[in-house]
Amino acid sequence: MPQPTDAELIATWASQPAPLLPLLHAFHDRDGYLSDDAIRAVAKGLKMPAADLFGTVTFYHHFARTPGGLDQPRVCDGPVCRMRGYDGLHAALTDASPMPCAGRCDGPIPVLTGHTVRVGTSAGALQEVPTPLPPAYPGKGSECVFASIREPDRATLDGYRRTGGYVALETVRADASGVLGTLEQSGLAGRGGAGFPTARKWRAVAEADARGGHKTIVCNADEGEPGCFKDRALMDHDPHALVEGMTIAALVTGASVGFIYLRYEYPQTVPILQKAIDDAKNAGLLEGFDLMIRRGAGAYVCGEETSLLNSLEGKHPFPRNRPPYPVTHGYDDRPTVVNNVETLCAVAPILRNGAQWYRDLGLGEHAGTKVISLSGDVTRPGNYEVPIGLPLMELVDDWAGGPLPGRTVQAATMAGLSGGFVAGDDLSITLDEPALRAKGSFLGAGGIMVFDDSRDMVDVSHQAMSFFAHESCGKCFPCRIGTQRLAERLGGQGPSALPVWNQEVLDIGSAMKATSACGLGTAAPLITDSLLRYFPERVQQHVEKNR
Amino acid sequence: MSNPLSDMERPDVIFAIGTNMTGCHPVAATRIKKAQDKGAMMIVADPRRIPLAQRADLHLQLNVGTDVALLLGMAHVIAREGLVNESFIAARTTESGAFLEHVKRFTPQWAESICGVPAADIETAALAYGRADRGAIFYTLGITEHICGVDNVQSLCNLALMTGHIGRPGTGINPMRGQNNIQGAGDAGGLPNNYVGFQPVDDPANQARFSKAYGRQIDGERGITKVRALDYAAEGKMKAMVICGENTVVSDPDRHHCEKALKNLDTLVVIDIFKTETAELADVVLPASAWAETDGVFTNTERRIQRVRAAVPAHGESKPEWWILSQIARRMELPGFEYESAKDVFNELCSLSEIYRGVDWDKAGEAKYHWPVPAEGHPGTPRLHEEDFPTPSGKGTFKRVEFREPAEVVDDDFPVWLTTGRRLQHYHTRTMTGRAGMHYFVPQETLEVHPADADAWGLKHGGRVKMASKRGEVELAVEVTDRSPRGTVFCSFSFGDTPVNELTGAGYDPITETAELKVCPVKLVAVT
Amino acid sequence: MTDTPTFELDGEAVPFTPGETIYEVSQRHQANIPTLCYDDRLEPFGGCRLCVVEVEGYRNPVASCTTVAMAGMKVRTATAQVEKHRKTLVELLTSENPHKKIDPLRGAASQELVTLQRRYGATGERFAGKTSGTSREDDPNPFILRDYDQCISCYRCVRVCAEQESDYAISVMNRGFSTQITTEFDNLLEDSDCTFCGQCVQTCPTGALADRKALRAESLPEPLEATRSVCPYCGVGCSVDLMSKGDKLVAIRPARDGGANEGALCVKGQFAFDFVQHDDRLAYPMVRERGELRRASWDEALDRAAEGLAAASRDHGRHSVYAVASGRAPHESTYTLQKLIRAGFGTNYIDNCSRA
Repeated sequence: MPQPTDAELIATWASQPAPLLPLLHAFHDRDGYLSDDAIRAVAKGLKMPAADLFGTVTFYHHFARTPGGLDQPRVCDGPVCRMRGYDGLHAALTDASPMPCAGRCDGPIPVLTGHTVRVGTSAGALQEVPTPLPPAYPGKGSECVFASIREPDRATLDGYRRTGGYVALETVRADASGVLGTLEQSGLAGRGGAGFPTARKWRAVAEADARGGHKTIVCNADEGEPGCFKDRALMDHDPHALVEGMTIAALVTGASVGFIYLRYEYPQTVPILQKAIDDAKNAGLLEGFDLMIRRGAGAYVCGEETSLLNSLEGKHPFPRNRPPYPVTHGYDDRPTVVNNVETLCAVAPILRNGAQWYRDLGLGEHAGTKVISLSGDVTRPGNYEVPIGLPLMELVDDWAGGPLPGRTVQAATMAGLSGGFVAGDDLSITLDEPALRAKGSFLGAGGIMVFDDSRDMVDVSHQAMSFFAHESCGKCFPCRIGTQRLAERLGGQGPSALPVWNQEVLDIGSAMKATSACGLGTAAPLITDSLLRYFPERVQQHVEKNR
Repeated sequence: MSNPLSDMERPDVIFAIGTNMTGCHPVAATRIKKAQDKGAMMIVADPRRIPLAQRADLHLQLNVGTDVALLLGMAHVIAREGLVNESFIAARTTESGAFLEHVKRFTPQWAESICGVPAADIETAALAYGRADRGAIFYTLGITEHICGVDNVQSLCNLALMTGHIGRPGTGINPMRGQNNIQGAGDAGGLPNNYVGFQPVDDPANQARFSKAYGRQIDGERGITKVRALDYAAEGKMKAMVICGENTVVSDPDRHHCEKALKNLDTLVVIDIFKTETAELADVVLPASAWAETDGVFTNTERRIQRVRAAVPAHGESKPEWWILSQIARRMELPGFEYESAKDVFNELCSLSEIYRGVDWDKAGEAKYHWPVPAEGHPGTPRLHEEDFPTPSGKGTFKRVEFREPAEVVDDDFPVWLTTGRRLQHYHTRTMTGRAGMHYFVPQETLEVHPADADAWGLKHGGRVKMASKRGEVELAVEVTDRSPRGTVFCSFSFGDTPVNELTGAGYDPITETAELKVCPVKLVAVT
Repeated sequence: MTDTPTFELDGEAVPFTPGETIYEVSQRHQANIPTLCYDDRLEPFGGCRLCVVEVEGYRNPVASCTTVAMAGMKVRTATAQVEKHRKTLVELLTSENPHKKIDPLRGAASQELVTLQRRYGATGERFAGKTSGTSREDDPNPFILRDYDQCISCYRCVRVCAEQESDYAISVMNRGFSTQITTEFDNLLEDSDCTFCGQCVQTCPTGALADRKALRAESLPEPLEATRSVCPYCGVGCSVDLMSKGDKLVAIRPARDGGANEGALCVKGQFAFDFVQHDDRLAYPMVRERGELRRASWDEALDRAAEGLAAASRDHGRHSVYAVASGRAPHESTYTLQKLIRAGFGTNYIDNCSRA
């Protein structure tokens, strides 16, 4: 088949909504990299300044700028993969380069080549493996988003409908008046990490004026937080749940356009989601709602909702200043719902089963559930939907089989890496925001990585901070310089006198937490905070080693 | 300009014609670029794909010298579509009936046959300007440097009068003045038909007033233009001339004629800061102190009166021009030249000018007054024609303009159109920019030739070409670029070693006597 | 009710216009809030975070440049905590650049970081580590120095080029600490869409983008002085400051409060001023003698000029004398010239160069 010309690619995409990323991907896929000429052609085709586009292309680490770059292997160097042999695998693969955590922490190390993810621990034994289903439910209560995910054929339209799918949508299409009340009573809050009440967000968009444009539902499927892989499981095994949740959101808010912003590292998810969208559309379920997938290109900060919106719009993916918030000034400056995959997947079950049912899934006074991506030094890593309020160690020991034989749990990260980690007596904590906030952490997107007593927590912290430094967008000073300086200090540079070292690290961290422009900069110092809190002796050894 | 520069950010439809604004008035161009960023539609009419045209929503790439045809076609569409502003026409204009009848003949198809712009684009442009809330016209020498320069301007006025796009924020007819104080040169009385403040010399009251002020009976009829004066000099009728700060030999058309005229004078006094090609011909050369060495007043294209100030000492023995000229006057025993400072001179000017009456040296220092400032305490007039027009009736008059061909048209001997202009990095004849490092960008003159023409004519990018008109010949380098349309080539007149104005100047506008510098048939021969 | 809303700024009730940011209001009230990414002509960016202030009831300080004032807010601009964070931020900035003297000749805003370093006592000792930004020593253009070693990624250059000039010549390459200000495809300025208007130079708060022509005068000992004037080029009439050291004109800067330009300039206005003190300048009067121009005294030259004009009038009638005024000289030149013609010869035989 002849390759499409520049003009054909531009003609295909220029009139589509949010055309920049798909058009760049089209050139990237055709040529195997993004040449200067390609960037010039895209800039001209979309009538944007070449300088802006050049800069924006360099922001995304998956856009190759040299011939053949697309097909060079990228090896995950996330915290868990580093514990499983990243170094050796990376060295064994020709032309390989590292990529930040690719969301496969529940299996062997992922290697992304072109649009294929293969996993393994040695170069000769890489293979394509489908996303694992969540382990059989080990808890005493019930699940919400995972309740039906293990049903046969759940990912197909028929299978989904056989197991209660699209009932809620049809009910809402007939009468949407009760949805916001039910969601409000259920206590459903953003499951991507921010925890903002979903009903309030939707109501704000429903009440906002689209000012001559249209409202938009955006699913944040840019699951870039290290140690998080729950959205991948939901999308790969229950894609219609997401489609149904987004369509309900559209009906309730009056939105006519929807985007699923999918992280680049999940290529296998694209056809699954696309088929679900197509099947639902052909079945007449999406009437009045134009739902499409947009793939990211490798930038953690695009998981921040305003960066994500800028990325969709083809702008430099810096976070926006707020207010105004996306509920009034989101995509294309019009009212927009931005929700995480898990949040949207929870909508239909809640509407089917009622607000009280969902509330009661939580323990004690806590409402609902949260999917935890549990990985690292545990016997059975995987996605677990836990009742809010479950003790951490009950999850680790009773649900996931505890640490590996002969080992003890030394520390566990929270919110992927963004919540820092807990250790020592604090491992007895329960998994709910009030308890975690009291320890200076938070549940966030629900990634928990376990480190046993064989691990060097200074090294873990150094890798974590290096990740944040790598992903800092560069917009605000405290994050851009602060992550760099903290990573240097955790990596063995900086002052060799402990009090000076401590003071510098604390001052940087406190300025970052107080003044950073987005969550990346405010979260990163939780790593150093927890290191200093739980492992002061290790810090002392580390600093004084360099004398 | 009828409107202030700040209004340039406010139109919803911009019509820029014959103005390479990003090159010649770059800072003004930033303002219409901002208007465009805010959503304004930009229509650019220019034979070349100038940077403004590349940014435009619609580029009307007309043949050189055919502006009247284009503008008549647009007027036709505006009239036909009922987009005329009836209340404005009734209240503010005269002779609209005859004009609207007149334009019925000039269909867009007729216009296309002359100007080469597709009729559909003429319709689009006319509809956009006609329907605009705030339509603004901008033009420069691409409109005026033709034998039909006045017709071109009248045609633009007709469009504004039809639609009422004048006298309001974000509208207007806005000629961008080329030189820093060309506006001031007119304001200060450097015109054969007007005293200071554009007071006509043929008005007996003005004549009487100035004769009294200057202590001598002054002619009641207009003087002659520089063009005519140079003709007289060539004929031997003009004997002495004072030229201040102009490199006439290079900037004026038909260099041979100009040199002959100046050499023919008994006395040529040149006051300048450099020994220009013109100064080389002088009998007396008087060194003037330069900008940054001289206190004074400039008035800009939006009629804003502003002070310039000396920051460094005058070079060598150079002196301010007012001092030099006063010294000559005193040697001729003329009274009234006892000035001790630029302030004295400027304040006298203000006292004699209706439009400067309300300002003085100190107020000029505030840089906020746009003339007219008719009385002390008046805030100035950033926007003209809000209530009436400066005509006896106060109304704007439609003019029934007809298309005329340029003075010379292409033929078998001279088959290519040459149009001339300026480039961002150079200014006029490079007396200033040529001595300020700008050669880094543009080290030599080049002739812009369309790639297809270059192929057809055997020209290569970077190669040399001989270009000749009926008046002269120059040799220069070739730049192959699609900025120029097929059949038309472009260069500037900035380089003295590429005296392009030896070629131009086939004709003059009959009213303003402005030379036709924008159109000249030439032939090209590759130099091998 | 049409009462102007107020909020509390450091304990004092201050009025504001709805839509104004805390920073804008604070500037009117001389609250000395530091900032490095702010330029009042540009959209607030919120990058440097130095302008953070405490607002009662808010968990974290907010950037005052992007936070719109609301009635009843209680804002404190310089608490010990906020000042401590600012000091940390300035120290962090200081640590990312090599330490060298930033001459004020570099640009109008070039002393902003230096000033804050002094205010917060940031010496560069704390937070030492890798430096950011790579200077483009390979860019030979003689106008704009690209000393990105001194860059702090405030993006004022990027934003002024886009928002003020609509030229979009400047790129932000990479991200985080690897951020590099450059052009499309990391080219030389001359190969980019840059028009050399100098706006980036004049808004740069660290002198990373610097006026190379001005720096030629770095070794002159005299103080740098500014004289307000108007650009000598086109008819737009941009207000400029003539920057001089002693008798030497060393640079031109656009006037931020210039009515015609509001801080903008073009390549000619910004950089093409060497003609003023050029060796080619006419330094003395000259008269023609035996076909050649020779040096003369002012008296001799003026006499000769006056005699020549008078003789023509005497011998050939007053309509044999003509004058051409300059469109570049100030009003006083043209006024005096036309008066000389009208008072001296009673004619209107004068024109200016607007016809060509």
